[in-house]
Amino acid sequence: MTRTDLKEINKMIEGIEKRAKGLIEKGQGIQAIERNAARILASTKMLKINVSDLIS
Amino acid sequence: MVSESEVFWNPLLETLPREEIVKLQVKKFRRIMEWAFDHSKFHGQLYRDAGLEPGDIKTMEDIARVPKVEKSMMRGIQKKEPYPYGDMLCVPLEDVTEFRQTSGTTGQPVYQPDTWEDWEWWAESWAYILYSQGYRKSDRVFIPFGYNIFVAFWAGHYGAEKLGCEVVPGGVLNTEARLLKMQELRATAIMATPTYILGMADTARKKLGLDPVKDLDIRKITCAGEPGASIPATKKRMEDAWGAKVFDHIGATEIGAWSYECMEQSGGLHVNEALFLVQIEDIESGEIIDQPNKQGRMVITAFDRLAQPCIRFDSKDIIMWHEQQCPCGRTFRMIKGGVVGRADDITKVKGVLLAPTAIEEAVRGVTELGDEYEAIVTKRGDTDNISLKVELQPEAENLREAVLAKLNDQLRIKTNLRYNISFHPYGSLPRYDVKAKRFKDLRKKH
Repeated sequence: MTRTDLKEINKMIEGIEKRAKGLIEKGQGIQAIERNAARILASTKMLKINVSDLIS
Repeated sequence: MVSESEVFWNPLLETLPREEIVKLQVKKFRRIMEWAFDHSKFHGQLYRDAGLEPGDIKTMEDIARVPKVEKSMMRGIQKKEPYPYGDMLCVPLEDVTEFRQTSGTTGQPVYQPDTWEDWEWWAESWAYILYSQGYRKSDRVFIPFGYNIFVAFWAGHYGAEKLGCEVVPGGVLNTEARLLKMQELRATAIMATPTYILGMADTARKKLGLDPVKDLDIRKITCAGEPGASIPATKKRMEDAWGAKVFDHIGATEIGAWSYECMEQSGGLHVNEALFLVQIEDIESGEIIDQPNKQGRMVITAFDRLAQPCIRFDSKDIIMWHEQQCPCGRTFRMIKGGVVGRADDITKVKGVLLAPTAIEEAVRGVTELGDEYEAIVTKRGDTDNISLKVELQPEAENLREAVLAKLNDQLRIKTNLRYNISFHPYGSLPRYDVKAKRFKDLRKKH
């Protein structure tokens, strides 16, 4: 995998993180949105550990 | 040709060149230190007292100057606010989703809070382990263990799920029922302590007339809790009994699952250096040991665990670096032969760490008992047995049943083990003038 590929994946991971955080912001405290988005963020953290830490 | 993704859970990290691993580790150490410095009163004070700030960390040598944390320090701050974790907690209490605790055999158990993110991390660390041992989506994994408040097989369960395996929790069943369920479901892998792996094979043959090699489909076994899977004779005994590959792994509640044996079984366990920093210190001088085959005590950091960080934790495990690079292609360093000992005087019985002082604490906490006792550990076949001889105070002779119940409770709480307890006439057990020898481990050493 090239560095360009990694950067592209990293950008996608950042996008997921941004959207999950956006869900929490827009969810108006609805727990079904907030808690499921929090779980997306936990999984996103694993992607960051596995990929993004190599980039930044 | 086998692709990288067929061998490695994450080839990006597992085959990283050595200098890149070191660079990544320094960066991640600085990050977790900064997190703890900012969010944990305990760590903030610890580092300020040492005159260190996260920004000071630029090299491995800088890391070696960071103060270590011992279990006794953790015990000292727990059971305080925010209850029950105290000043090491780095997140709001309501963000904690998982409670686990150490077995408490060396004293008061240490409580371990994890957030859901931390719990994902636990599963992730186990995913590295299981994938390296050949677990795949097609596996049906049977876990013959009641997970309780102890972390290992919970994490193994979630790690296997993460890989896409089908997981069967076999906790409440007895051994015979577990074996029959494994047979019925054609389970392909199990996780258990070496003692229990051997005990199950024995039960299968003697009580059920089953030969695990022919009558069951287990092809992979992952061990935890005891060093047996890193002891060649025990590993061979298990592999012969089950007709399966037996793999070791090492983890701890307050650390994480930090080390694993891969499919090559090359005499060592990889340290997951993307998630953990393992440093080995000379037992006497405290100097960092980088050369192979020299034993020292492990000091370990988990880079990504946030609720209650593990930074420069003195585990008291004795380990040594392996001289070889593993043929599997992982660039993660290996330790030779697993954990080869403990810096303090504790031993493992039935897979549970036991400090002889905990028995003393239990016996002497029962006022109807005399001061003297004798604990003897033996091995029957492949199973550990621990007997405990005690004396009733003469005036408590008619309270035997109640005392027995109380002692059993205390022993379970303090040591998490069951004993064969026998009462002896008051004054009949050996008395000592100087160094007492009340704990006797009569098992043959491997």
